[in-house]
Amino acid sequence: MNRASLHFLLAALVAIALPLFMRSGTLASEVLIFAMAAAACNLLLGYTGLLSFGQGIFFGLGSYAAGLTLLHTSLPLGVALVLAAIAGAVVATGVGWLSIRRQGVYFVMLTLAFSQFFYFLAYTFKDITGGDNGLLNIPRPAIGPFSLGDSWAYYAFVAMLFLIVFAALQRVASSTFGCTLLAVRDNEERARAIGFPVRNFKITAFAISGAVTGLAGALHALLIGVAPLSNIEYHMSESILIMTIIGGSGNLFASVLGAGFYVIVSDLLSSIWPRWLLLLGGLLIVVALFMQKGLWGLIERLVVALPMGRRSAIKSPIESPIQPESEGRGI
Amino acid sequence: MLNRRDLLKLSSVAASSLLLPAGLRPAFAAGEDITIGAPLPMSGPFAANGKFGSMGTAMIVEEVGKVLDRKLGYLEIDTEGKPATAVRKVQEAMERGVTLFAGGILSSEALAMGKEVAKGKGVFITTAGADEITGSECNKGTFRWSVPTFGAIEQTVRPLIEQLPNAKRWYTITPQYVFGDGLLNAAKAIFKEKGIEHVGNSYHSLTEKEFSGYLTNAMAAKPDALLILNFGSQSSDTLRQAVSFGMKKRMTILLAWASGLEQFETLGPDLMEGVYFGAQYWHGIDSPFNRELVAKVQAKHKMNPNYAFASAYLTTKILIDAAAKAGSTEGSAVIQAMEGMKYTGLTGDEEIRAADHQVIKNYYLLKGKAKSAMKDKDDYADIISFGKSFQSPEQAQCKMA
Repeated sequence: MNRASLHFLLAALVAIALPLFMRSGTLASEVLIFAMAAAACNLLLGYTGLLSFGQGIFFGLGSYAAGLTLLHTSLPLGVALVLAAIAGAVVATGVGWLSIRRQGVYFVMLTLAFSQFFYFLAYTFKDITGGDNGLLNIPRPAIGPFSLGDSWAYYAFVAMLFLIVFAALQRVASSTFGCTLLAVRDNEERARAIGFPVRNFKITAFAISGAVTGLAGALHALLIGVAPLSNIEYHMSESILIMTIIGGSGNLFASVLGAGFYVIVSDLLSSIWPRWLLLLGGLLIVVALFMQKGLWGLIERLVVALPMGRRSAIKSPIESPIQPESEGRGI
Repeated sequence: MLNRRDLLKLSSVAASSLLLPAGLRPAFAAGEDITIGAPLPMSGPFAANGKFGSMGTAMIVEEVGKVLDRKLGYLEIDTEGKPATAVRKVQEAMERGVTLFAGGILSSEALAMGKEVAKGKGVFITTAGADEITGSECNKGTFRWSVPTFGAIEQTVRPLIEQLPNAKRWYTITPQYVFGDGLLNAAKAIFKEKGIEHVGNSYHSLTEKEFSGYLTNAMAAKPDALLILNFGSQSSDTLRQAVSFGMKKRMTILLAWASGLEQFETLGPDLMEGVYFGAQYWHGIDSPFNRELVAKVQAKHKMNPNYAFASAYLTTKILIDAAAKAGSTEGSAVIQAMEGMKYTGLTGDEEIRAADHQVIKNYYLLKGKAKSAMKDKDDYADIISFGKSFQSPEQAQCKMA
């Protein structure tokens, strides 16, 4: 079994295992929705070396696009989801086109600025977005004879889309395009000198990431029946990035781990201690200092430590961009 | 063959302690018969309000103990102050059979939760501020205890204009969203009616922390009164900066939507002296039920009840009383019992208007005291006036489905 198949199998196992071990279909759906968003973020961070704070824009736009379509038209659910993905892709293309003109910290600053810009757009145009109150009353229509009203029925729908999206992202990552992204991340100048259209590759990565994040945002709006302003806030970008980093940016399945860990642990910790975000902050410090490959890296180490694992040690095809300066170019 | 449900049950035995949604564990561990959901921001920026709200809910649940011959419990649901989290956790609670909810401090989360609870045929009562809750977004399952923006302005700006006939020029500072505009429009209507000159307004965003620019504009307009229309930490920051600019000496300041004791503790008497505040609740209200609550809270917690505590106590009590009256916890029966319900509340006689589910209650105009005049550590303000002012359900644009 090759590595891509193994990771897909693991993702499928997660989708199957969640209903068996969780009592809330809503929470399980949220795990997979954020897993999609984190995997899309990983395509930029892990594969292209772009630390984007713009993911919240695409997530929020996806929520609004699906919500507005379902509220104001009689178009079916599938069309609303496609429109959300298109909205994410189109805006991501624009944001990417402008942001990648700068590198390093200036690129990060630009994505942050766009994040604020779109937040205030959503906040200001309250007649369209509902402003601070959010876009309310978003329906969750049936698909043909299949009602999605029950939380587990909706989970099944989300899980199906999650596996399709995961497989598609894996296909992208393992294609020539994906390998070229790695080359761009590791040495942009060399990739350009060889003749790769670096700029186009980065914009395409942004567009794909935006489409998937937009779709995740749409599914989230359908899950809770509202597109809140917080979906397009800077904090949403931050949360998606944290999930990606905690999971590890080495491969796409690591993002699924990161999202699952973040969503479930946040839910648990919030009942134990009101200042649970401090614990999450502490965890991020630990990840940054000692686990630069995230949870996936930890699993790799554990597997290697096992007698069987020493013989067939897993080695990630790509290195995390979050590593010492000498080992990679980083952002 | 094991089906998914059986597998779920088996696996839940092993995994429930770890994977059961966090906020739901206490109630189910206790195995109560009737559970009131308390969706409150226990973490995040509004955690302090959530903490007191939870204490208020706990106190009334403990006090009542049993209803309809069934043990009463409550379920603390941490909304984290986020609408998405709030809705998700409320969905989870409803999946486990909770039908009655009292909570929701932030407007955005309360609106979203109200819709969700109504969809699930439950009942939700809140103290959040957005007019839409019992206005354009009103629904069968949602009730609101707090006075909307119209009443808050009617019971603060109008009496203050009458008290200060020489204050002819007013300046406003407003958060630019629906809540702020609701307050501002109500104030403008009174200004127009009373012949007051509205010398200017500064809009600011919901994330603003620095108000000196707006205050400079206000000073330049030379108003007789400054009307602050934001709330929470923003109103505290605005007032602090206004006082440090010396504006308290040059004009009358009215903060129309104050949180009450919890906010006054952070402001302190030096800032508050001579400043007017609008409040939904104050522990000094002279009503039989409030006096009783204050005595009970002082005895149990050695403190005076603040707004978050008192409102959670009362709204949970309303749900319990309605369930008892209905003889059921089924949503539709409780809703029917609540519609038109009259009761002795914290602010005196209160009534739930059937047409829009708005509680008709008093709103208070308070005036900050000098430190030397305070009788105890919480005696920050005197009640200047109070009363009930509400738009009709039609004016509030409520079309109950």
